[in-house]
Amino acid sequence: MIKKVSYKLILLLIIVTSLNFIYLNTSYKHQLKRNSPCAYQCQNLPEGTDVVYFGESSNTTYADADSTKLTISELVKYYNPKLNLVTIDTMAVHAGIYKYWLKEMYNKPKAVIITMNLRSFSASWIHSSLETQLRRSVRLSRPEPKIWNRFLLSLKNFEDRTEAELDSSVQKHWREDSLIFPFKFKHQNVKQWDLAMGSGGWLKPDGSWDMEKSGLATHYIKAYAFNLNEKNPRIRDFDEIMLWSKKNGVKVLFNLLSENVAFADSLVGKELVYLMRTNKEFLVNRYNKMGAVVVDNFELVDKTDFIDKNWTTEHYNGRGRMRIAKSIVSKLN
Amino acid sequence: MLFNSLHFLLFLPAVAALYYLLPHKYRWILLFLGSCYFYMAFVPSYILILFAIIIIDYVSGLVIERSIKKRTKQVYLLVSILSNVGILCFFKYFNFLESNLDSVVTFLGGNYKPSELNIILPIGLSFHTFQSMSYTIEVYRGNQKAEKHLGYFANYVLFFPQMVAGPIEKYSQLGSELKKQISPIYDNFAHGFRLILFGLFIKMTVADNLAPIVNEVYADPKAYNSISILNAIIFFSFQIYADFFGYSTIASGAAKLLGIDLINNFRTPYLSISINDFWKRWHISLTTWFREYVFIPLGGSRVSTFKWAVNIIIIFFVSGLWHGASWTFVVWGLLHGIVYLFERGLTKLFKLQFKEEASIINFLLGVKTFFIVSFIWIFFRAETFDKAKEIITSLVNNWKVEGKDVIYGYAFFFIGVLVFFDILLKKNRIDSWLGERNELVRWGCYSVLLFFVLTMSGMENLPFIYFQF
Repeated sequence: MIKKVSYKLILLLIIVTSLNFIYLNTSYKHQLKRNSPCAYQCQNLPEGTDVVYFGESSNTTYADADSTKLTISELVKYYNPKLNLVTIDTMAVHAGIYKYWLKEMYNKPKAVIITMNLRSFSASWIHSSLETQLRRSVRLSRPEPKIWNRFLLSLKNFEDRTEAELDSSVQKHWREDSLIFPFKFKHQNVKQWDLAMGSGGWLKPDGSWDMEKSGLATHYIKAYAFNLNEKNPRIRDFDEIMLWSKKNGVKVLFNLLSENVAFADSLVGKELVYLMRTNKEFLVNRYNKMGAVVVDNFELVDKTDFIDKNWTTEHYNGRGRMRIAKSIVSKLN
Repeated sequence: MLFNSLHFLLFLPAVAALYYLLPHKYRWILLFLGSCYFYMAFVPSYILILFAIIIIDYVSGLVIERSIKKRTKQVYLLVSILSNVGILCFFKYFNFLESNLDSVVTFLGGNYKPSELNIILPIGLSFHTFQSMSYTIEVYRGNQKAEKHLGYFANYVLFFPQMVAGPIEKYSQLGSELKKQISPIYDNFAHGFRLILFGLFIKMTVADNLAPIVNEVYADPKAYNSISILNAIIFFSFQIYADFFGYSTIASGAAKLLGIDLINNFRTPYLSISINDFWKRWHISLTTWFREYVFIPLGGSRVSTFKWAVNIIIIFFVSGLWHGASWTFVVWGLLHGIVYLFERGLTKLFKLQFKEEASIINFLLGVKTFFIVSFIWIFFRAETFDKAKEIITSLVNNWKVEGKDVIYGYAFFFIGVLVFFDILLKKNRIDSWLGERNELVRWGCYSVLLFFVLTMSGMENLPFIYFQF
């Protein structure tokens, strides 16, 4: 009986292999285009592409009053018209997803510009509820046989955590990750700092609690109060991108986005700014050493050029986007 | 653990391999541990509820058998029934009862603060309480000897392929299957594989592709035109059928891999010519349970016509409530009861007789039954009466309104495939049907089904609808 079962299993394997071939040549591309348009775009990169710009909402958001509505990547092309540049972007995406997209590029460009957003290294972004959708979107384009990926997608076999599980992971980081300063600081972790700011924080001129301002301050703390090191999952994602770059001989530029440091200083204080700058230095040093070009735009955009005043975003007005684009072009040449 | 998960697709072969490697006398331990593991993948602590049910009914069975006086037997049976129904009521109907009590007290001008139980309903609770109760009732009736081996009885309640959504098996059937000394036979593997593959196809390809369309329309019916609403109603009929039939087929396949036969829970229900016929073909094990343990004790058909009609209404009322703690389920059940009585009345009045042969009349009756069942499903699917009303009014009123449309091409294709299989398998189960074909046709079918499952399954990965009951 073992012989009979083995023979059938081999036959089954041959059938599945044949079905994989049929799938690749029939509905795979259509499904990929529908479920993971960015991966599809990577697979179908035009020959002769010089640069691929991988972006997120920082690339596409503009203010209504902007004199130019061009995105950062369009501005890069505007300042360098001969450049054959392709933009691949979607909302709230990060290096953990870019690394899969890069592997999908059969036609390799000369360089890739990867958006590096400091907030994407924070616990609240790493364990964001948007992750499920992102993980799902890359499942189809993973390097394993495509029919297997498709099957796993329908079995929901990708990181799919509930809101409660995600929140619990974030809370754990905020509670257990000690904040390291070279000076004395009363709060040991995000939780303590957040509580202090949330319960006391900012007061209005009449002495009452300024809920709005204190709330925004706690949001800044949650977004930027962490110490980066090589154990951070997002660092591992960027490291993988570097490995890909070396393996394929493609130049990598990390577009380190501007953060509203001046506002963070006025809202929370020098301790938060210290963490932000230290983390920025960590990224610049690490990836410059690894051979990437880190385009340090961290404090390039003026505080007045940030579109969102009541939230932590990397959304810039036309002047801000132009400054970043020029900075990228200067490093690209 | 869901059947449509990688977890289960790894778990099942591992259990099957270990099962055949172990000597027969130790297999019950593996099945017990495997079933506990399977159940604990949902909410681990809820296994304690199952243990409580097992202990209560195991002990009840023994003491009922040992008791000499009928009165004593009745007391022990009552303890068993009240315990099972009590557990079911507490977890499933507590909030429902509280909110209804609140409505009644408010209606009478009083003030009642309902307390709300904020817990997840233990998965498949209605199934294992009903199955376990059937054992003590059978022991009480003297049709079943009490099981002395706690392990075997525990496996009867816990047996993982059918523990969360049936079929609701009698101990005389499943108990003896579990005790069978089974050697690894190629035929069991082949039949099991066919059933699992076909079940996955029905669930993942048909049901899970229809579900998003149905969900979209039911979420905002007013936005859709009547054709879309009608399609959604029809799609839900096929979705729930494919979902539940798919589950039952996988359950039979998983059990068959272990050499255990489960009863068939479906027999092409949408080819029924009447509601009476439908209930003989849909969720057969539940219909059988209600007939044997509720309808017959109420007097069955050997009573006056009026009493019989009342009994029928009671059965459908309880059946509706069994499905869910909501009045929409009750109305769903009652509508079936009303149509059932109406059809039976007409048949009696005009002395109609129908044969099971294929004929134009039977085809038309089949279409009529399908549309009635589909309409009644609205109350099953809608979360509230307001939603059901929205669906019905949108269906009636939106013929001339330019409402939203959804793309249906692939949905109709999958429904077509399901109907094709239903007609093909009217008298035969898929595993037997495939077994009778030559190797080329058989492997051709495997290839097509595999292609559908691997590449065209729905991407939402929805849990089985009947798991919530």
